[in-house]
Amino acid sequence: MKDIAEQEVIDIGDMDVEAFNDFAAEQGWSDGMPLYVPTEAKVAKFVDTVRGDNRPYPPVPPRQIVPTLQSMAANAVMAGCKPEYFPVVAAALRGVLDPEYNLHGTLATTHSCAPVVMVSGPIRHELGINCGSNCFGQGWRPNATIGRALGLMLLNIAGAKPGEMDRSTQGNPAKYTFCFGENEEENPWTPYHVQRGFAPSDSVVTVMSGEGPHNLNDHGSTTGDGLLTTFAGSMSTPGANTVYGKGPMLVIIGPEHAATLKRDGFTIESIREELFQRSRVHASRISKENQDTYTSTGHKPDGDWFTIGRSAADIHITVAGGPGKHSAFIPSFGGTTVASVRIAG
Amino acid sequence: MRIVNPSFGISATSAEKVTLKPVNWATDAIALVSNSKPNARELLAGIREKLGATRQIDNIDFLSKNSASQPAPADVLEKVAANYRGALLAIAD
Repeated sequence: MKDIAEQEVIDIGDMDVEAFNDFAAEQGWSDGMPLYVPTEAKVAKFVDTVRGDNRPYPPVPPRQIVPTLQSMAANAVMAGCKPEYFPVVAAALRGVLDPEYNLHGTLATTHSCAPVVMVSGPIRHELGINCGSNCFGQGWRPNATIGRALGLMLLNIAGAKPGEMDRSTQGNPAKYTFCFGENEEENPWTPYHVQRGFAPSDSVVTVMSGEGPHNLNDHGSTTGDGLLTTFAGSMSTPGANTVYGKGPMLVIIGPEHAATLKRDGFTIESIREELFQRSRVHASRISKENQDTYTSTGHKPDGDWFTIGRSAADIHITVAGGPGKHSAFIPSFGGTTVASVRIAG
Repeated sequence: MRIVNPSFGISATSAEKVTLKPVNWATDAIALVSNSKPNARELLAGIREKLGATRQIDNIDFLSKNSASQPAPADVLEKVAANYRGALLAIAD
């Protein structure tokens, strides 16, 4: 008889939901919250939504197994997704499998990073993904369950078991879920996926291995220049991996801040340049030991200043959220990339 | 009730076993490989010094990844495979 790990379909006899959750926890399949039961019939409905997308998946590190659509869908079912969410989940998995994303490193690290999932294009409205008020928070099933489904796939398919392969010192609530939609309707510039070369009519999922959102609160500044002073000052932090200067970061601008910046003539490109220059960290804020480490590993200061990121291009900018004078900075793991994948269908 | 196993996948690794030649830790060339985290080099330097009490150490060398967060590049792995019979990895954190 095959070990459970080698069986794609398992007969678990008569189990109610509670018994299944106990069983799943014993197998190590759970993120600690209740799971839906991935019956064959439910999984089949999910798999039907991605028929036609026949590109093979590469082996998923660190475990190095090639998932089946059924095993991927089982995780989406357990997360509480509706079948129509599954193409987004499947595309998000393709995103984290971009070699530059460095999935093994991002899952095994002691850093707190978790996959940040951003959805662009028409599918946001088709699925009801929250792009407005509280977009990083609770209350919307697709936001909650798409991010959770990716997390469960990384647990069960990639093998990122906390305390074993996932060595994160403290973790991050985003390891449960972190999925939101761009607020393209209140973005006075170009939507993020169009910045990345996709058509406006494409639906795209973007993933980055990041920290939780760092709030950028500015109720007082009435100019774009003032806002960028606040943003850059908050991004200039010696305790984020970005201070190593080796990876990307997201700046998610709230619509009110975006309107002020646009009114004052700022573009995505000029915001990026201003933030890169103004967010440099002065050497006096970095310990001598860390300065020596950064310098010896190739991240040399520019005079007395350490840049965050390798260049302004490491700062990825878009708009999300609702009314209010807040934006967000999301630093990444560092040795990773921001990967965008068109959602099939 | 039949469910789909959420951890199921097809193994991408070969079942072929690699036969390793035995390493003579008393004489063979050894690579001391750092993961580039702070203090990894110091840890390896301590090991090299201790080995010096029992063997020659002029064929024990330090190597490192070029980033703590990235996999070891192929050229480093090839260098280890080509020049050393044993490797000790320091995973400092």
